[in-house]
Amino acid sequence: MESKAREELATRTLGHSDADRTEVLVSYDNSALTRFSHENVHQNVASEDAIVSVRAILGGRTGVAQTNRTDDASIREVVDRATEMAKLAPSDAAQPDLPHGGPTQTPPGAYVEATARADAQTRAALCDAFFRVAERDRLWSAGYAATSARGYTVANTNGVLASFDGTTAGINIKMSAADATGFAESASTDVRVVDAEAAAETAARKARETSKPQSVDPGLWTVILEPPAFAELLAYLGSHFSAQAYDEGSSFASGELGKTVFGENVSLHDDYAHPLALDAPFDFEGAPTKRLPLLENGAVRNVVTDSYWAHKLDMDNTGHALPAPNAYGPQPRNLVMLPGTKTTEELIASTKRGILISRLWYVRTVDQRQAIVTGMTRDGTYLIEDGKLAGGVRNLRFNQSILEALKHCELGLDLHRSTTYHYSIVTPAIKIENFAFSSTTVF
Amino acid sequence: MSFDGLAQRALDTAAGRGSRYTDIRFDVARSERIEVRNGVVAALADGTSSGYGIRALVDGTWGFAAGSEMTDTAIDTVAARAVAMAKAAASIARNPLGAAPAHAYVDVFKAPMVRDPATVPLGERVALLLEAERLLHVGDEIAVGRAWIDLWRTDKIFYSSIGSRIEQQLHQTGSGIAAMAVGDGDAQTRSFPGDIGLYMTGGWEVVERARLRENAARIGEEARALLKAPQCPSGTFDIILGGSQVSLQIHESCGHPAELDRVMGWEANFSGTSFLEIAQLDKLQYGSANVTIEIDNRLPGGMATCGYDDEGTKSGKSDIVRNGILVGYESSNDTARAIGRESNGCVRAQSWEFVPMIRMCNLNLLPGDVPFENLFDDVKDGIYMESNRSWSIDDRRLNFQFGCEIGWEVKNGKRGRMLKNPTYAGMTPAFWNACDAIGDRFSWFPWGTPNCGKGEPMQIGRTTQAAAPARFRNIAVGVGYGV
Repeated sequence: MESKAREELATRTLGHSDADRTEVLVSYDNSALTRFSHENVHQNVASEDAIVSVRAILGGRTGVAQTNRTDDASIREVVDRATEMAKLAPSDAAQPDLPHGGPTQTPPGAYVEATARADAQTRAALCDAFFRVAERDRLWSAGYAATSARGYTVANTNGVLASFDGTTAGINIKMSAADATGFAESASTDVRVVDAEAAAETAARKARETSKPQSVDPGLWTVILEPPAFAELLAYLGSHFSAQAYDEGSSFASGELGKTVFGENVSLHDDYAHPLALDAPFDFEGAPTKRLPLLENGAVRNVVTDSYWAHKLDMDNTGHALPAPNAYGPQPRNLVMLPGTKTTEELIASTKRGILISRLWYVRTVDQRQAIVTGMTRDGTYLIEDGKLAGGVRNLRFNQSILEALKHCELGLDLHRSTTYHYSIVTPAIKIENFAFSSTTVF
Repeated sequence: MSFDGLAQRALDTAAGRGSRYTDIRFDVARSERIEVRNGVVAALADGTSSGYGIRALVDGTWGFAAGSEMTDTAIDTVAARAVAMAKAAASIARNPLGAAPAHAYVDVFKAPMVRDPATVPLGERVALLLEAERLLHVGDEIAVGRAWIDLWRTDKIFYSSIGSRIEQQLHQTGSGIAAMAVGDGDAQTRSFPGDIGLYMTGGWEVVERARLRENAARIGEEARALLKAPQCPSGTFDIILGGSQVSLQIHESCGHPAELDRVMGWEANFSGTSFLEIAQLDKLQYGSANVTIEIDNRLPGGMATCGYDDEGTKSGKSDIVRNGILVGYESSNDTARAIGRESNGCVRAQSWEFVPMIRMCNLNLLPGDVPFENLFDDVKDGIYMESNRSWSIDDRRLNFQFGCEIGWEVKNGKRGRMLKNPTYAGMTPAFWNACDAIGDRFSWFPWGTPNCGKGEPMQIGRTTQAAAPARFRNIAVGVGYGV
């Protein structure tokens, strides 16, 4: 569904509402994914859907209703349901007015026609490139090739009418040998720049190089996390920058705004217009999204807000609302860790003894305020000795405070966009001292 | 609800384009979420979603396409897309495994429900949560109180080109409360029931059974007390886990590794593989002789309870671990056939938009014969832990580390002082072989999980792991704090 049709639908929906204030979100998704294992496609899927969500506000009372039927009767019904729910809801004195919007500009390149038009044969060709490398090296492969076109339109009774269209293309490849595995990924808005052959070669090289892994003792190590691994860690810091978590005290940043808590080399932004992010310039309430430094030279600079939390805390609305209803508060959507000066090779060369980590798995919070997380290494874990890679090691479990990690780190030069999350995380590699491993596994 | 005309058209269109077997599943899903947070209704939302997903099989390879437009033209387009997807996959497949199901059924299944939540006025539903949430605030330390209800109703009809027509109606319901206390640079959370609430197949009776108002003040007090409780010690201890934590332990260390698609490498790039290799079937000493784990997809109240799975296989019982020995897997038609067995009906799709795949269903640890209070007997120096807070396991499901919201010392068979931040860790087979006692049927409960993630694109599954509290000897405790 193109933006013009979404805008017509959103405007038509608003016209049916007699609530004091109404917001309509029309979202559209046309996605396909080809998934394989052992050089067979076991899942080749495509789906298309459009959803209309209505937020009706009567005084301080709010109701939300949603449907994926767009005929006039269904639209009238969803508006009525939202209004009826609002009538029965308790009043919230802190409920602010809906945003009035403002000028926004979608970053060029967010929507790529070639990605939107990619078909099953396009994805099959990407997968076939993986298969040929696996067969050549007598490995087996597992992964996916995915393309999607998504758009959303926000309209409200304050005159907001904003639309965004974007595309994503992603590949994810794991190569397996008898006793080792390797991983690579690539993501872009443009399917033509996703290089399956290069990713397959990287994953295969890691599987070959880390075969016959040795055991090392857990304890405190110097580690280098490649970007996909660092993105997994950083994802667990993102919610700390929500104004809700900040106010309620579950964030490390609570009471720390303006204070320097990390090394001066650490700067983290939320930036929808970064060339590797290319996301919407407004949030799901239609408020313009600000490009913000969250951390600047180690100091906590900002938390993100939406209309509710901006009003409640008397802050500016930074335009980071999630779709209503949202009990999670505003959230960063496009984390970008600013790069350092050394390539990953230079970070390795400067390490006397350490571990290079390609990817992390099952990271979970152990302690919220200290941002201690646990998780496992996977798919390409190397020993570093005297500045050189020295073969594979068996995977390890870590228990590490992200806060402590960012106090003793060196950042890499080259930025990478992770494919793991629907929102983007852009990171360089990172070298961390005294990274805490607590145990090992048997592979 | 009937989609007979559209279904036949889809089956005919797909066959005409070369599909050897086709099925189509129509879903009409209704959902309601109410969440109260710090006295404010933070979510009051109602949703409907309807559509259909079509599977087509060409040259041993599957294609899947989904759409929501209920017209002849749209059905033709989506059916053709499913066949095109299958053909594209077949063009690069090296050793296709897909095969059509062998059995067809014509049936109707309705999951039992005592009281339809729709008969409870919305104002009453909201009022219950407002009161329960208010009762959590036992002191200024309670920074966040939450109370919630989830209601789901799914009507679906499955049609296949070998003659199945299966109509099902499922009601699933959940509710819970949680309090977060903040003070002295610490944040501690207590939740009830379990760690995510009480989730079961059924109606309003599930919300009543949760007894949110009756337990709210205790939960608030425990959250507040945790701020001042001593840190759980590190070392090797006997541990007793509460029922909901045992449920999660089964989920992560048996439910996921016993998924046969994972065993065969289909999840390798994301969720990982499994240590439960096919060569180990009927041989591996997975756990002690106390440990029997079975699938029961007709379990009353189970979140995965249904008449048939989403590729038309009839629900029933089957064994995964019998007296400690690995004896089975959760399977689909394709995967079961690959190891010379028949599917045990563990295929589910999140909704019409998603392809059916193997999902953990009702996978239960059978109760033992020890009354709950006797699990503490002859524990000289141990820890009792309740309600999960953190969970992580490696990508073959061996090395795990879990944390709970709350713990208590156990000294000489008696429960003592409260402990905060309890964690424990181990390797899966060693851990289950250290299980020397399981609570009896009076402490056994079908703990439901509404949000199990798997697959790419990620699908959210609803599953139950019925469990009783259980005792484990010589376990590593206190991992993660000071390493």
